[in-house]
Amino acid sequence: MRPPSPSIPEKEFLFSALKQGLRLDGREFFETRPVTLTFGPELGWVECFLGQTRVLAQVDAKMIKPPPERPFEGVISIHSEISPMASSEFELGRPSEEEVTITRMLDKVIRRSDVVDKESLCILAGQRVWHLRLNVHCLSDSGNLLDCACLAGIVALKHFRRPDVEVIGEEVTVHHPTSRAPIPLSLHHNLYCFTFAFFSDTSIHPVLDPNHLEQRLNGGLISIALNAHRELCVVQKSGGVPLEPADVLRIVNVAVQKAKDLDVIVESRLREDWEGRKVEVR
Amino acid sequence: LILSFDSLSRVDGSARFGFGLYPQYLTSISGPIEVRLASEQPSQSTIEVHVRPLTNVPGTESKKAAVILKEVLQMEVIMEANPRTLIQFVVQALVPTPNVTDELVAAMINCCTLSLLNAGSVPMRGVICAVSIVRLSPVKGEIPIYKVHLTEESIPRLEATGCFAFLFSDSVSSNTYASSCIWTNWHSSYSGSAKAVDEDDLVRARDVARSAAREVWDRMK
Repeated sequence: MRPPSPSIPEKEFLFSALKQGLRLDGREFFETRPVTLTFGPELGWVECFLGQTRVLAQVDAKMIKPPPERPFEGVISIHSEISPMASSEFELGRPSEEEVTITRMLDKVIRRSDVVDKESLCILAGQRVWHLRLNVHCLSDSGNLLDCACLAGIVALKHFRRPDVEVIGEEVTVHHPTSRAPIPLSLHHNLYCFTFAFFSDTSIHPVLDPNHLEQRLNGGLISIALNAHRELCVVQKSGGVPLEPADVLRIVNVAVQKAKDLDVIVESRLREDWEGRKVEVR
Repeated sequence: LILSFDSLSRVDGSARFGFGLYPQYLTSISGPIEVRLASEQPSQSTIEVHVRPLTNVPGTESKKAAVILKEVLQMEVIMEANPRTLIQFVVQALVPTPNVTDELVAAMINCCTLSLLNAGSVPMRGVICAVSIVRLSPVKGEIPIYKVHLTEESIPRLEATGCFAFLFSDSVSSNTYASSCIWTNWHSSYSGSAKAVDEDDLVRARDVARSAAREVWDRMK
């Protein structure tokens, strides 16, 4: 069997191209691949395409009894296991380093940064709360699975509608989606994640949204999660070549601009999809 | 039914298939690729099938489906052609599947066949198409009815159900074709001998299934 790529000629070609300021797929250094969002028939099902990288996210909700230490908040759990479909290098049951990074980053971006208002998920304090389950399936890994997964997760949460619930005294009635229109989740803000790859040769500037080859040959990755109002939520740099402070500030400024653009795209896609569905509100 | 090819970038072949308006499964295949020493077989290739539901971790239902698929695929792929290699299938459900019905098993088999055709790198004996058939008690008259799809109002009349898989190969012209039923799980949904299944019943159900599978095959072509 042939040894795993990248091969030495590929490596040398990539580095010499980057030194000349050219990326192999023709993008600018701070240009992302085109984002495509496809929504499924059910609410809360979205497939996110970032170039060739594809991630599927789906949100499910059910009612449970809350844990005793937090009786007023709902519960969110995220399930994101990478299958060999994303690439035959991933094995089931043995999380690779990249998979652990993705799981931890999804946890930070979606759970710990309080994207979803957990108190709005409470139905009857101490007895019934909503348990949201976000399932993230990575379908194809062509570099930068992390950004794609975070985007798919956030858009799925925005797309999802939970059934309407009426509480009279101690009695809880859940209305079927056909009798009363389901209501959207209340989200505090929309977080978008941007990953930059930088290389061991410090004369090469960092690149945004690395594709497969750039991600394999990187000297380090820095991921920034922020919302469209210039508020940084997560900055993660795990290992890799040290970066100058000026570089980091430049990266943050680029990320701020990209977040605004991405927010516009996401909102317009969601609006388009919503208009295509027939929902009557009585 | 709906089918499409996906072109996922890191695997050899991929396809989506569903009975109805929306794809139910997305399957990817990589092969022949390197195999772990523990599962290597000296004279034939190893087939590995992973079935992943949309929600929750894969459980016993997924394992059952994976075992069925492995059996069916072993008849479709020419295993002796590539010894000491691995052919890896990953079947991802795109719709919530709380329990794996016969229709979903048929959809999975068709999806795997499509992704094999898309890949082109694995030698195949033929094309396997599967459909699920239900037998309903007759409304009036004595002959029970065999239908391909179960509608809501026929559920009370359900007597037996099952999935049939047919291997199609060697079509000389578009009218004649050779197909053989290679796998089925025709079973009665009642316990007791009143509405049990017997050999004639199986033969009748199989014929209905054969023509339905032929339609699936035409669509694939």
